[in-house]
Order: sequence, then C-alpha cells, then structure tokens
Amino acid sequence: MTDPAASPAAPLVAVLDDDADLGASVARLLARNRMDARAFTDPRALLAILPDCAFGCVISDIQMGEMDGFAFADALRARDPAVSLVFMTAWPTTAHAVDAVRRHGGIDYLEKPIDEPRLIAAVAEGLGWSARERRIAAMTAAFTRRERDVFDLLVRGHSNKEIAERLAISARTVEDHRAAIVTKTRTNGLAQLIALSRGEAV
Amino acid sequence: MIDLRASDLPLLVLYALAFALLHWTASPWSGAGFFSLWYPPAGLRFAVLWSRGARFAPWLVLAELAADFSAGVIDIGAPGLLQAVIGAMRPGLTYGLALAVTRGIARGKDDTFSLPPMMMGLAAVAAPALNALLVAPIDALLPADAGRYRIGVDIAISLTGLAVGDLLGILVLAPPLLWIAALTGGPRQALPRPPARRAVLEDALVLSGCLLLTIALWRAGLGAQPAPGLLAGAWIGLRHGRIAAWLAIVAQVLAFLPYSSGQLDDATRLELHLGIAAVVLVTWLAGSFSDAQKTARIMLERRNRLLFQAERLKTLRAMSVAVIHEISQPLSTLAIEAGHLARATEHLDADIAESAALVDRKARDLSDLVRRLRRFGGRDVDEPSLLPVSMLLQTACQIVAAELRASGGRIDCLGIAPDLAVQAQEIELTQALVNLLRNAVAASPGETIALRAGAVADEVRIEVTNPLVAARKTDAQPLGAGMGIGLVIARTIVEAHGGTLVRQDDVDTARFVLSLPLVAGPLP
Repeated sequence: MTDPAASPAAPLVAVLDDDADLGASVARLLARNRMDARAFTDPRALLAILPDCAFGCVISDIQMGEMDGFAFADALRARDPAVSLVFMTAWPTTAHAVDAVRRHGGIDYLEKPIDEPRLIAAVAEGLGWSARERRIAAMTAAFTRRERDVFDLLVRGHSNKEIAERLAISARTVEDHRAAIVTKTRTNGLAQLIALSRGEAV
Repeated sequence: MIDLRASDLPLLVLYALAFALLHWTASPWSGAGFFSLWYPPAGLRFAVLWSRGARFAPWLVLAELAADFSAGVIDIGAPGLLQAVIGAMRPGLTYGLALAVTRGIARGKDDTFSLPPMMMGLAAVAAPALNALLVAPIDALLPADAGRYRIGVDIAISLTGLAVGDLLGILVLAPPLLWIAALTGGPRQALPRPPARRAVLEDALVLSGCLLLTIALWRAGLGAQPAPGLLAGAWIGLRHGRIAAWLAIVAQVLAFLPYSSGQLDDATRLELHLGIAAVVLVTWLAGSFSDAQKTARIMLERRNRLLFQAERLKTLRAMSVAVIHEISQPLSTLAIEAGHLARATEHLDADIAESAALVDRKARDLSDLVRRLRRFGGRDVDEPSLLPVSMLLQTACQIVAAELRASGGRIDCLGIAPDLAVQAQEIELTQALVNLLRNAVAASPGETIALRAGAVADEVRIEVTNPLVAARKTDAQPLGAGMGIGLVIARTIVEAHGGTLVRQDDVDTARFVLSLPLVAGPLP
C-alpha cells in the first residue's frame, strides 16, 4: 500500500473481500502495477470513509457476510455515482454476470482464481471511466438547470434555432445561456465543449 | 401383417394341429345355434396373438382355415362355402383387432388399468365380445340365403353361446400358455415364488365353502346360482392375484364342465355356462387388478428409490461445489503471490528462480483445474441455456466412447445441422442422451448405432436407432418391457424439458425418438 500523502491527487482503488489475505494480495498486485489500492474486509467500513475519500474504482467480492456485493454496489452508487466497479466471485453464474454488468454497471465480472491481466485491464478501464465522469460532473456542477439543457442539446449538434424551438425559449436566450456555458467552462468553441461532454481534458 | 419368418412355420403348423384337436374336444358342449359353450381353441388363439402381436392375426387365420379344411369342419363341396370361410376367418381377425385397440388405448397412459396385467384382463374380455358383436354385421354383408335366416331370440342365444364359449376357453387356456411361453422363450424371468401355505389354505377354504353353498342352493331347488362362485372368485383374485385366480377358475370349471357336457337341454346348459362365464370373468379381472396394483406399487417403490438416489447426488454436488469454492479463495491469493514471486526472483540465483517459477506454474494449473471443475459441477447447473444439438450429441458420444470400444461397436452420427438448438440444462440432457446410447450399446453389442437429429415442424427430433439382435426381436413385448432405470431417468429429464421420449421400433430396429421444442432464431 502506498502512502496517500505521497500522491494526493492519484485516484485510489478499493479492494473489498471478506478474505483479508486475498484482499491484501490483490491490493499489492495493483500497487505493483502503479495503482494505489487499499484493502477492506467490511463493506460498511468502506462506505463509512467515502465522504473523505473518493475512489476511482472499487473491486468487490459478491458473496460476503451480511451485505452482498450487489447491495454494496447500490449503496456505493447512491453515495458516489462516478465510482467504477469490478466484481469478482468464487460462485460464478450467468445470471450474476449479467446483473453485474447490466444492472450494476460493473466494468467486468471476474471468476476466482483471478486472471491477473484481465483484472489490471478492468481496473485501468474503470479508473479512466471514473476520471471522465468526475470531469463531466465537475464541469456541469456550475451550470443552472437551463444551462444544462442547452449544453446537452448543443453537444449533440443542434443549432441555436433548433434548441430554442425544442426548449420553447427565444434564440436570444439560447445565445445568453451559451455565452454563460463558455465562460463557466473556459472553453473556446463547440469542438471543445463536445470534448468536455465526453469527459476529455481540454 | 408382418413378414413371416422361417422360424414361424413350425409354430403355425403346431397351431393348426392344436387348433383342430381343441376344436374337436369342444363338441360335447354344443347346442342349437352355437358350436360350443366351452371353446378352448379361443384360448390358444388369444395366447398366440398376445405373445406375437396383433399383426400376426392374418397368419393365424390362414392356419385356422387350413385346419378347418383338413379336419373336414368346412366342406369344400358344400353349399354356403363363402359363408363358412368368412365365418372361420372372423374370430382371428376380430381378436387381432380387439388386442390392437386395447394396446392402443393403454399406450401412453399411466394408471393401473394400462399396466400389462390389467390390459391382458381387459383384452381377454374385449376379444370374444367384439367377435360376437361383429357376427351380425358381417352376416348382413353376405348374400342372404334361406338357411342362415334367424329370428331375434335365436341370434341372441347364438351370440351369447359364442361369447361364453370363447371367454371360458380364453380364461382357462390362455394364461398357462402365456406363462409357459414366458418361461421358455424371451428374456429370462424369475419363477414365481411358491405361494404361502396360509394363502393356499385360505383360498381352498373359501372356494370349497362357496362350492358347497352352490350345491346347497341347487339341492334346495334354486338352480345353479353363480353368486357364491362370484364371491369366491373376487375374494381369491383380489387377495392373491392372477395365478390364484386362474387356479380357482380351473377348479370351478372342472367342477361344472363334466356335468354340463351330460344330458342337459340347450337352455339349461346355456344358463349354466352364462353363470360360469360370469364367475370366471370376475375372478380373472379381480386377479388382474390385484396384479396390476402390485406392479404399480413396485414401480412406485422404484421411483422412490430413484428420487432418493437423486437427492443424494444433489447433496454430493452441493458438497463438491462448496469444496471448490473453499479452495478457490486461498488459491486466488496463492496464485497472485506465486506470480509475484516468480517475477521478483527472475534475476536471482537460478535455483531460487526455478523454484518460484515452478510454484507459479503449479498455482496456475490448479487455478485452471478449479475453474474447469466448477464449470462441470456448479456453474449454471440450474439454469437452462441455449445449446447447439450437435454439441450435445458430440459430448454424449464422447462419454460412451469407452463402452463402445469395449463392445466393438460404433456410433454413426453425421449431418447434424449446426444451427439446430434447444433450450436445456446441458448436463441433464447430456445424461439423457448418454443413457439412451448406453441402452443401445447394451442391446446391440458390436453393431452400428445410428444417431440422427433434425427439425420437424417446431420440434427437434433426436433418434437413437440400433439393430435388433434376432433373439430379442419381438414386436409384442408388453408395454414397459426392458425399461431400465436409465430409460426412466432419460424420460423424466426429457419430459422436464417439455419434450417427449417414445419408442418407435421397426421390424429389425429399435428406435427411441427424443423430441424437444425447437428454439427459433440464431445462436448467440
């Protein structure tokens, strides 16, 4: 485990497994692959420190004691929608695999004993996704509700006139909103706005 | 009509001789309008048809005609030859029809009445009844002649006499003939256990009591009353099954036939025989019902044992899945750490590096093994999935390959369309196919077994066909014969998948057809 103080901005990975040895082992494996990771054995402990500690990716076991992996995933998403999830299990079933990806937005569903390259790839993908989500969230947090509507239509390629018709406001108002959006995001032009909407750094 | 084999000719010759002889012995119980009130040839005919199948009827009819001509029962020169010939052909054909209908009705049903003992009891009643019922319609089709014209009462007496004579003949003669046939030919069967002395005593007591009561009633001027005989027959049949019932029938028939062959007028004789027929009928049906119940109970017990076995297997599977889970958890840690060690020690002393690499490799092998085991024992085991039929058949063939090699046979499995798919539980359905293939290998060792699959309407039909070995080649095995536990399991599995498993034999091949609902659309 690395010292969080050494790289305070680096996204953190959480490993949740009721088997402490396995959790620690996976965390060390990730650390060797230059990903900061912390191991947890209790889902409630992980949820409890969430307000202070935003994770980029959480690797969670599915069969755990009181709270299973899916219930934990729901609780985690409710607190932080921009965290990515990777599931691992010793009891793989097709139904769980489908649920893990479709319903709980998991990046992958890994069968124990774990395939290392696949785990590393999934976590890397999760961290990237989470970073994009956080950038979009940070950027759009300053928008008013109307500005958010205009922004959404704008990045989908609609003209000012079309946006005005769709939102039943005047073209002049659309232009005002657009100016505010550009100011708030410190961008210059539609291309950069679209890049922002995809979570890309400008 | 089935093809006649050379080995059937002696049977037909023997049949013709026995038929002529028995026909002649029946003459003392004859009367106006009917040939005999006690007609043993009917029993012989019924026994042969029951054991060889209804399709053998035309050959029996030819043998009977030959016997009638050579014994002079039908005179070639006499007028009304056509009527005589058709009259002689009718019983054989109606018997065949009655047997085919009885078996057809019972096929695919699963209650006491469709079990072999009860079916035979019903057929034994249906055959003479149908024979008698069809006399008038067949006569009506023939050119009328003055000599055959009858009034209503005569027809009734004549047909009753015919039915009574046939029924007595069948129920007295057919059972022992069939028992002898079962003991001498076909698959070896255990001899019935000798009856308990207590049962014999009980039956003898009941029978003699009822006979004495009959005699007492007769002496009192009430005539030969069938009621005591009915009571005795029902008692013995229900208590001790068909063998006891048959012995009781023989005892009653022996008691009355010598008397009824004597100087009696036709009406008295007919009345007496009607009474005997009622007693014999009730006795036999009671015995058949009792045996059918016993068969049903045995089947139920067997099914219970299977369920118990299945329950044990389920527990065993749950245990092995739990073991796999318990192993996979620490193994995950071991594999990760072993991989790390192997990489970290790569540049160290060759001996240490080699040890670490070996530990890493073994941890990987073990991980693969656990994943494979889980796929077989636990994964998706309760979830039906879309399966290509060709893959199922291939797996089943692989599983029976060793047994096949040992028997020297082969499986011919070609041309299965790759897009044929069913929604099924893979392991269970594979098990059903394996059971069918195993049965086929056991039934036809060293032969080629054909495995075919195709879509018919909205069903997938999988056929397992094996050539019948000559000794077992009988098309008239009672329903359920040779139905081993493997087949019962296969059928249960297939039916649980919404499909059917039926046997469709040809003359020289046994074929099991497994039908499952076809899944439309492309495979994932």
